[in-house]
Amino acid sequence: MSEPRPPSRTTSTPEAREALRAAMVRLADGDSAALEEIYSATRVKLFGICYRILGDRKEAEDALQDVYVNLWQRADRYDPQRASPISWLATFARNRAIDRLRTGKVRSGAVAVEEAAPLPDTSPLADSLLIDAERDAQIHKCLKGLDENAQGYIRAAFFEGRTYAQLAETADVPLGTMKSWIRRGLMKLRTCLEASEREGSAQ
Amino acid sequence: MTQGPTDTPETGPDRERILAAEYSLGLLEGEELLAARGRMASDPEFAARREWWDEWFVPLTDEVAGAEPGAHVWDAIATQVSPPAAAEPVSTGAPAASNVVLLDMERKVRRWQWTAGLTSAAAAVALALFATSPSVDAVPDTTPTLAATEAPLMASIPVGETLRLGVTYLPESEEMLVSAAGLAADGVHDHELWLVPGDGSALQSLGVVVPGEERRVTLAADVARNMADGASLVLTREPIGGKPDGVGAGPVVAQGAFAAV
Repeated sequence: MSEPRPPSRTTSTPEAREALRAAMVRLADGDSAALEEIYSATRVKLFGICYRILGDRKEAEDALQDVYVNLWQRADRYDPQRASPISWLATFARNRAIDRLRTGKVRSGAVAVEEAAPLPDTSPLADSLLIDAERDAQIHKCLKGLDENAQGYIRAAFFEGRTYAQLAETADVPLGTMKSWIRRGLMKLRTCLEASEREGSAQ
Repeated sequence: MTQGPTDTPETGPDRERILAAEYSLGLLEGEELLAARGRMASDPEFAARREWWDEWFVPLTDEVAGAEPGAHVWDAIATQVSPPAAAEPVSTGAPAASNVVLLDMERKVRRWQWTAGLTSAAAAVALALFATSPSVDAVPDTTPTLAATEAPLMASIPVGETLRLGVTYLPESEEMLVSAAGLAADGVHDHELWLVPGDGSALQSLGVVVPGEERRVTLAADVARNMADGASLVLTREPIGGKPDGVGAGPVVAQGAFAAV
């Protein structure tokens, strides 16, 4: 088994999270000033996500613009009772970036991690809003429990927006083989995550 | 590991849960992707499973280095969210005038549909066929962001070899015209038209297509706001009367995308 992860990085303060949640609620009520506040607090994280997936600064900026304009138009979709605002926004931004990859607006496939130009990291992670240290540790632990292949491909799908077909091509294996590797990995991952949920609720 | 591929079932509850994970990660494309999006609309359990995976995967984004976008990004956002003051049409209580506008629009629409029925190259280009990925490159990349468009939108969806379903949306009146002229009912199935919102949210039903007729409907506000240049449409095959509650949407039989006229 993998060794336990070191204590997680600095997490966002409850105040920052609460301020963001309040701004999201105000935005849903039609307060456009709230959008600027949300943008200030989250643009670095969300741009990082778009950039990582799209691999192109210009495309990532277009995607980012799209994210916030869409957020403004449909702010009512966010349910403050359910999701943490930064989790919701990060998922939203990632999905928009993936959609952009799939609709052919961008040449398919983000640059591989090793080819990617270093990102202008002007905001140290510790200062940005982080999602959830505990769940972060869990998903890492469960991913590490998978065999290296499955782990690597699942991460490539998540961070680079690779599809089954693209992963199979890169690995030079039949599509069915790639699907079977990843599906097996995902089933194992699910078992591990469900177990950690049970432990969590038992405490 | 000694397990073979046979332990990844193609059906059953395990497959269902894994499908939600595949969709959450973005592994799917083509028909599988459309089918999964269809499920989001029709199957709350599937939608909840996807959300479960999303919530587990999203902490991974904390590994991604943050980056500072250019200052022009905010300027562009600010411009789009504060439209010119006159943009919001206000009911003036002048029905005569708006009827005139509507009649004029109808004339234009007829012309567009007529054009489309012939050989509109523009309409052909607008067809975004996911399943044949090489053609994706042919989709014009001019699709703007989601600023609600005031220009009418038109989609021409090929059904079978020769027939086309014409869909026109009039943003001013939030009305949609579906022309299924030339289509014949088979007496066993109906076809239901769905809007694929650009933001990745669940598909929205645009109703059952009536073969051989032109149908005109006013859309609900939550559907109308997803009508945008580039928005995709899919047609599914359903039992008579359309997709029954509580079951998944039927197979996708045709698809297309709106383009501003």
